[in-house]
Amino acid sequence: MTVTNIVHTAGAPIGTPASPDTALACSTQGLSVAYRAEPVLRSVDFAVPQGVVMGIVGPNGAGKSTLIKAMLGLVRPLTGASEFFGQPLARTRKRVGYMPQSTSVDWDFPTTVLDVVTMGTYGSLGWIRRPGKRERARAVAALEQTGIPDLASRQIGELSGGQRQRVFLARTLVQAPDLYFMDEPFQGIDAKSQQAIVSVLHTLREQGKTVVIVHHDLATVRDYCDHVTLLNRRVVASGPADESFTCENIRTAYEVTAGDDAFLEFAS
Amino acid sequence: MSFVLGTTLLAVVTALACALPGVFVVLRKNSMLVDAISHAVLPGIVVGYFFAHNLDSPLLILGAALAGLIVVLGSEWLSRTGLLTGDASQGLIFPALFSGGVILVTLNFANVHLDTHAVLVGDLNLAAWEQLIIGGVSWGPVYLYVMLAVLLVNLAFLGLFYSKLKVTTFDAQFATSLGIRSGLLNTAFMFLVSVTVTAAFNAAGAILVIALVVVPAATAYLLSTRLPVMIALTAGIAVTGALAGFWVAYVLDAATSAGMSVFYGVVFSVVLVATRLRQRRHRNVREYAVASSP
Repeated sequence: MTVTNIVHTAGAPIGTPASPDTALACSTQGLSVAYRAEPVLRSVDFAVPQGVVMGIVGPNGAGKSTLIKAMLGLVRPLTGASEFFGQPLARTRKRVGYMPQSTSVDWDFPTTVLDVVTMGTYGSLGWIRRPGKRERARAVAALEQTGIPDLASRQIGELSGGQRQRVFLARTLVQAPDLYFMDEPFQGIDAKSQQAIVSVLHTLREQGKTVVIVHHDLATVRDYCDHVTLLNRRVVASGPADESFTCENIRTAYEVTAGDDAFLEFAS
Repeated sequence: MSFVLGTTLLAVVTALACALPGVFVVLRKNSMLVDAISHAVLPGIVVGYFFAHNLDSPLLILGAALAGLIVVLGSEWLSRTGLLTGDASQGLIFPALFSGGVILVTLNFANVHLDTHAVLVGDLNLAAWEQLIIGGVSWGPVYLYVMLAVLLVNLAFLGLFYSKLKVTTFDAQFATSLGIRSGLLNTAFMFLVSVTVTAAFNAAGAILVIALVVVPAATAYLLSTRLPVMIALTAGIAVTGALAGFWVAYVLDAATSAGMSVFYGVVFSVVLVATRLRQRRHRNVREYAVASSP
């Protein structure tokens, strides 16, 4: 597959950290979140070095999506603060891109694929301006990068699950961020879409971008991620996959008793 | 301007002013919130009358619209407490405000001359009674110009913030992650809906205004795959419905808002049935194609 790079304009050059602090793409300290009386995350410390693909892995209800949302200010945390490239989010928002779960929106919305992808440019438009030729050209480039330029004028309701994920990925690529948060990008997709998304991940890694993926398929964690955080309401382990993605840590995170671990064969 | 022409124009302008914000109300799945607002503004209107002594006063409209905003912000706050589920929080707030308004009306507070019938379904002919006369020439009902101003404000708001409204409606969390003030935009939009509903109160009353806001957009939603198309269809349906409803009511000597609502309802039902039938035929053709392919 040919991959067209979109022009990256925002952000500082990668790999020239001014201090050890900025070598982190993002970090959060003492992050606690509760939905009503139910605690979801307890005092989570989490840090992602620049240039890695970090997988957030854990059982259902472990708070994986909540961790991302709380860091991005979409869910209000009880305690804790997050930093992106050593600064609060308000200062670095343009360098941070978010790809929500594709099930979070109404796909019957009367709009086209190109329109949705163009929404990725809205952050740079100010209150009143509408997207023009330049914004649409960037959107087309992003659609080419995810391999679906032919779907540009489709109504979004006509897409398959994998195509929806690729539209959401393209919308995030349009922002040209340095740090990507992707919530379950491989959820409910076909082999072809999976290939397309993996190829984009490889390109991003080559460009020195940082990617944080919420992922729940243990079998493919090692294929996509070089760093892993095992999460179950608290951080069980976090770091390079070889050190963190071990049988013992997975067992702890998934609360599996010894002997019942047939599914642990992919661990380090 | 003749009385009939003036009142027809009033019906058309009111229908458009209500239907255009209705597009985003429907897409945001906030339809019943409009009902809550239209009930909640009643005490605001009565109290506003105490100060303004004129039901068409812009001050009264803005003041009463604030009462509508109490429902919007109050029910959002109640939902956030997590003590209530679904739209129960709306159900708690707006009946209290509406009943307060009804009590004020029946006590003849401030000598407000609203009969309960007009409160429920409005009275377009009564609303159009006071004519704007400049230089001895009648320029149509004063109320027509109030609704025209509301329509222009709505057009300006939707036009200026079109992109932002679209992205916050489609995917509010993504919009927030872009740095767009989704909450602020939502409050501003809901205030505008509240103003529109208050202004249309004279014409459509507390119960039927929801039909003017929601039904044209809901019908257009069934027929469109693009937002600009949906907006154009909404406007078309609103104007047609206003004209048809007005004349039906005129001939039958019934309430205009009721005539318009019934017409909207009929159009919606026809479109719903037609789109369902077409979908089924498409599905049958596709199944046949799949079954007959080797």
